[in-house]
Amino acid sequence: MMNVLEVRDLNRGFGGRTVLGNLGLTVESGEVVGLLGRNGAGKTTLIRLIMGMLAPNQGTVRVFGLDPRQDPVAVRRRIGFVAEDQELPAFMTVGRVLDLHRELFPDWQEEAADDLLARFELPVGRKISDLSRGQARQVALLCAVSHRPELLILDEPAGGLDPVARREFLETSIRLLNETGTTILFSSHHMGDVERMASRLVMIHETQKWIDSPLDDIREGYCLALVPAGAVPAATMLALEDCLCVRERGPSLHAVFARDAESCTRELEKNLGLTEAACRPLSLEDMFLELAGRDA
Amino acid sequence: MLFYVDPGSGVPIFRQLMDQVRTHVAGGVLKPGDEMPSIRSLSVPLGVNPMTISKAYNLLVHEGVLERRPGLPLVVAEHDAGDLADRRREQLRASLAPAAQMAYRMGVEPLEAEALFRELLAAAAAEEDE
Repeated sequence: MMNVLEVRDLNRGFGGRTVLGNLGLTVESGEVVGLLGRNGAGKTTLIRLIMGMLAPNQGTVRVFGLDPRQDPVAVRRRIGFVAEDQELPAFMTVGRVLDLHRELFPDWQEEAADDLLARFELPVGRKISDLSRGQARQVALLCAVSHRPELLILDEPAGGLDPVARREFLETSIRLLNETGTTILFSSHHMGDVERMASRLVMIHETQKWIDSPLDDIREGYCLALVPAGAVPAATMLALEDCLCVRERGPSLHAVFARDAESCTRELEKNLGLTEAACRPLSLEDMFLELAGRDA
Repeated sequence: MLFYVDPGSGVPIFRQLMDQVRTHVAGGVLKPGDEMPSIRSLSVPLGVNPMTISKAYNLLVHEGVLERRPGLPLVVAEHDAGDLADRRREQLRASLAPAAQMAYRMGVEPLEAEALFRELLAAAAAEEDE
C-alpha cells in the first residue's frame, strides 16, 4: 500500500535559523499520529510544508505520492485541514463559507455537513467575525471533514477551546475514524487527548525527530527513575545504556530510561548498586516535561 | 457505562479496558454469552481511538475471555467455575502485587500485612452492607 505521507531529509529554516533539519517521516494509511514538541519546535512548520504552504529548503514531501507544491489542488482535495489560527474569511456568513467549500470539494457530503451543523448548533446566517473562537473552529472542522478526507491534519485543534468544545473536536475526529478510517496527523499540547487519539507519537525537539514510536510502546517501554541526589553523579547515570536524559530536581535525580520500570530497577541495582532507586511508568505529560524541559 | 478510561494514569488505555472486562467477567457482571458493545458504539462516548478498543478486544479473544462469532457481536466466552476462580485470582494478584512490593520495601512483617488486608476486606464488606 502506498504511504499517505512521505517526508525525506526535510530542511527548512527562517532567516538563518534552522527549524527542521534532515527530518524524515512516513505515515501509513489508517495511522493516527500525534505530533508533540514545545512551542517553536517546528510542528506548524512541518504541517505547512506538508500542506504545500511552504517550500522546503532541501528534501522532499510527498502526499499520496504527489508533491503538494506541484499538484496543490489534487493534494488539497484529499486532505482536511484545520490550521492553528484559522483564516476563514471574517466578513462571510457561516452559510457562505460552507457554499464555498461545497464548490471546492467535489466529494463534499451534504448529509455529513448537516449533521455537524446541527450537532454544533452553528448559526448559518452569522458572520465569521461574530462567532466565538470555539464556534469559528467548529466551522473550520466541519469544512475539514465534510468531504470525507483521506488525510486529516489538525494543528493544535484544542488551542483556546473549553473542555466541552475540545471533547466535541475529539469525538468528531473519532466519528470520522469510525466511518472512513481516515489517516490523521495532529499536533497538540493536551497529552490526554494525544493518549486518547494517537496510535503513534512523534516528538520534535531541536530541529530533529526525537521520538517516533507506537504510543503503547512508549507507555510500557519507558520509565522514570528517581534517585536521591548525591547517590550517583548525573553523568554516570547518563552514560548508562537506554538513559535518555537526567536532570536534578531538588533532592532527587530524575532519569528517563527507554526500558520498563521493573528491568530498570534491576539494572540500576546491578550496574550502580543503587537500592533506593524508585522506577515507575511515566505519563505522557511527565515524559514530555522530562525530555523537553531537561535544560530548564 | 461499564467502561471508563483515565488517560493520565500511566497505564495504556487498551490495558485499562482489558482489565475492566476481565474484572467484570471475574465478578459475574458480564456473563457467558453476553454481547460486548461494538467498537464504534464505545469509541465515541469513551473518546478513544477505535483501534485501541479493537486491540483490547482482540487480545481478550486471544486470552479466551471473549469469543468471536462470524458476523455477530463479540460475546463473553463460556467458562466454568474453575476458570472463573482462576480469573478472579489473577485479577486480584495483579492489584495486590504493588502492595506486596511496598510492604517488602518498608519491611512490614507478613503477619502484619495479612492482618491489614483482613481489616480492609472487613471494611469493604461493611461498606457494601450499608
